[in-house]
Amino acid sequence: MIAISDKSIHEPMLDIFIFETLKQIEQLEQLVICNEKSSCYTQNSINEIFRIMHTIKGSAAMMLFDNISALSHTIEDLFFFLREEKPKDIDCSGLSDLVLEGIDFIKIEIDKIKNGHESDGNAEELTKRIRNFLSVLKNCENPLAISESEKQTQDMRTQYYISQDKKAAVSGKNGYKAILHFDEGCEMENIRAYSVIHNLRGIVKELQYIPENIMANDECVEVIRRDGFVIFMKTDLSYEEIEEFLQQTVFLKELLLTRLDNAEAQEKFLIDKRIVLEKQETLAPKLLKEEVVVSSGQQQSLISVNVNKLDKLMDLVGEMVIAEAMVVQNPDLGGLELHNFQKAARQLGKITSELQDMVMSIRMLPISATFHKMHRIVRDMCKKLNKEVQLELIGEETEVDKNIIEHISDPLMHLIRNSIDHGIEASEERLGKGKPQSGTITLTAQNAGSDVLITIKDDGKGLNRERILERAKEHGLLSKPESEMHDKEVYSMIFLPGFSTKDNISEFSGRGVGMDVVVKNIEMVGGSVSVESTPGSSTTVTLKIPLTLAIIDGMNIKVGKAMYTIPTISIKESFRANERELIKDPNGNEMIMVRGQCYPILRLHERFKVETDIVNIHEGIIVMVENEEDSICIFADELVGEQQVVVKTLPAYIRNKGKIRGLAGCTLLGNGSISLILEVAGLADKR
Amino acid sequence: MKRVLIVDDAAFMRASIKLMLERNGFEVVGEAENGLKGIECYKELKPDVVTMDITMPELGGIEALKIIREYDPGAKIIMVSAMGQEPMVMDAVVSGAKSFIVKPFKEELVVQTLNKVLGL
Repeated sequence: MIAISDKSIHEPMLDIFIFETLKQIEQLEQLVICNEKSSCYTQNSINEIFRIMHTIKGSAAMMLFDNISALSHTIEDLFFFLREEKPKDIDCSGLSDLVLEGIDFIKIEIDKIKNGHESDGNAEELTKRIRNFLSVLKNCENPLAISESEKQTQDMRTQYYISQDKKAAVSGKNGYKAILHFDEGCEMENIRAYSVIHNLRGIVKELQYIPENIMANDECVEVIRRDGFVIFMKTDLSYEEIEEFLQQTVFLKELLLTRLDNAEAQEKFLIDKRIVLEKQETLAPKLLKEEVVVSSGQQQSLISVNVNKLDKLMDLVGEMVIAEAMVVQNPDLGGLELHNFQKAARQLGKITSELQDMVMSIRMLPISATFHKMHRIVRDMCKKLNKEVQLELIGEETEVDKNIIEHISDPLMHLIRNSIDHGIEASEERLGKGKPQSGTITLTAQNAGSDVLITIKDDGKGLNRERILERAKEHGLLSKPESEMHDKEVYSMIFLPGFSTKDNISEFSGRGVGMDVVVKNIEMVGGSVSVESTPGSSTTVTLKIPLTLAIIDGMNIKVGKAMYTIPTISIKESFRANERELIKDPNGNEMIMVRGQCYPILRLHERFKVETDIVNIHEGIIVMVENEEDSICIFADELVGEQQVVVKTLPAYIRNKGKIRGLAGCTLLGNGSISLILEVAGLADKR
Repeated sequence: MKRVLIVDDAAFMRASIKLMLERNGFEVVGEAENGLKGIECYKELKPDVVTMDITMPELGGIEALKIIREYDPGAKIIMVSAMGQEPMVMDAVVSGAKSFIVKPFKEELVVQTLNKVLGL
């Protein structure tokens, strides 16, 4: 037997399964949260949730993830009931809790599957609770409704068919008994039996069958599997004709057809047992009235592409940009007059950059999915902490590189948790301060040049300068006297490792692993984090993130034999300095005076311990780079030139040693040598 | 080669059925993700046989079955159902579905069903 679980079919399907299920789970989560907010579930949403659970159940069963399949089946049953019976007074919040718990379970399992682990989660306890929830609902329901549906099954117990043409009914001259056995594993044997009966209706005059109650499914499926499906019929057709007809049955394993004599036949067809079949036909459609599900309106004429292919494409374009530089800037061409070559090279350059833009844009995704995930966080936090918080989303259509989106989800989650836990006050406290009872968190995304700014603003109590300073002192985090620090510097200290002002560590945040992890994550994608606060009224955290990671404009500089690349965007100016402009601060740090302002000098050869002959300030070049408000002057041997560079991560054996502050990655230059890409924020940071 | 149209809202299911059928000498000529598109595709492609999911957005499989059968009384449609959908499968059978398969299904059962329905 070839099962779907066989590796050959399993493997290619797994990706699709994971992708689709995750997408559906996300949609489901949104639905649940939206519905909970509007205080109860609309018929459309119930349909939609039912449909999603149904799909996941089916797919998971195909992949043999029985735990997921069983859980989705239970939720599907619950929503089937809601859809059909439309019970009043549902415990909406309890319902949402259950479904969300289910969603979490499936998420965790999918994650395991994704990472190549066994999906070994057990949802039995949750399944039981969902069943209980359903049975409570059923019991609350109008008992009439139940007895009615029971009556339906009663009606279906004795199924006879006699031809509509009643006069002809008695005239069937041949009586037959047929025993049908179906193939093992074909499922729903009762309906297969029913299907046979349905088709026979067209050609036989009268028929009767055992088991009679084919729709009272469980036992009768068993009976058919064990004893076969027995049909007695009266017809004008010959034995051969009936046999041929029955042989067409799908999944028929065995057919036993025998002729009945008249007495036997009469006995089987007692007139008073006859029930005209039409009556029953109305039953099935009744359940289907609402099968025409209103759509979510999300279908687009898009194709889905494996992300790995996109990453590969991106890599290839990156390689091409490098290769182009290698050709155009090839040292062999030095000093040659190559008119036609230059023309062709320009054309190549144009196409390369268009191609690159295109690939970039393919990888851009709106940030909305990430933003919407936050609804769930807000909901759960509010419920646990008993606070009231509204989440407002602005600019969710802003597009960001897919890789970056993946990296900002966790930091955002953490910041939102922090806002609710530490920032926003409890309702009574808010009312006492004359604020609206319910707090608001505003999540904004906007484009700013080659960056995206994401702000998380809450209207809570703001940051407390005194307490931050106190805590910083306790942990020895102060780098200069308190009085010299302006608010912004004080507030920024919450991002230092090991900082947490909340004395009671809560379940959600404040384990002291918080903010510095946020910073690390954001810095990993080349972004930065800053915070502002108005005591008593608001806190705003701003994440500044590059639109894309992969290809940047860079200025190549040389130090000794080493090459470095500075992102052009952060360069303010470059110039040759004079010894006279140098100043030393009391600690011996070099500073330079430019237009009446003092900037620290960073000697790259010292920072990275590179040997070079150029150590006198007037021999080399100064590149002034900007990071937020701070600017520093980088001292290097010489400028080499500007070009687009493809950012590559440092090799794993270097990364494993921990993040190297001041280096964002590396790149290949036109001549094939490696250049290290400087990370300005890391260089400016003196920690 | 027999031409098959797959109607299912789950990409995973479409891909699974497609893989199974293509490995067994069927040609999948079209895929549709809801009943409405299924009807359109049927009219356009005239497939030999259709596999039709029951629960779909826009238009469910049973409605689509009825409409296709009205358009082409000879249409051969196999329902793709799941446990618990017995009443709907019954309705589908009454409405002219040639047979049905039940999720989770095995490759050989799918192929067997198609062969039988196509009289192969």
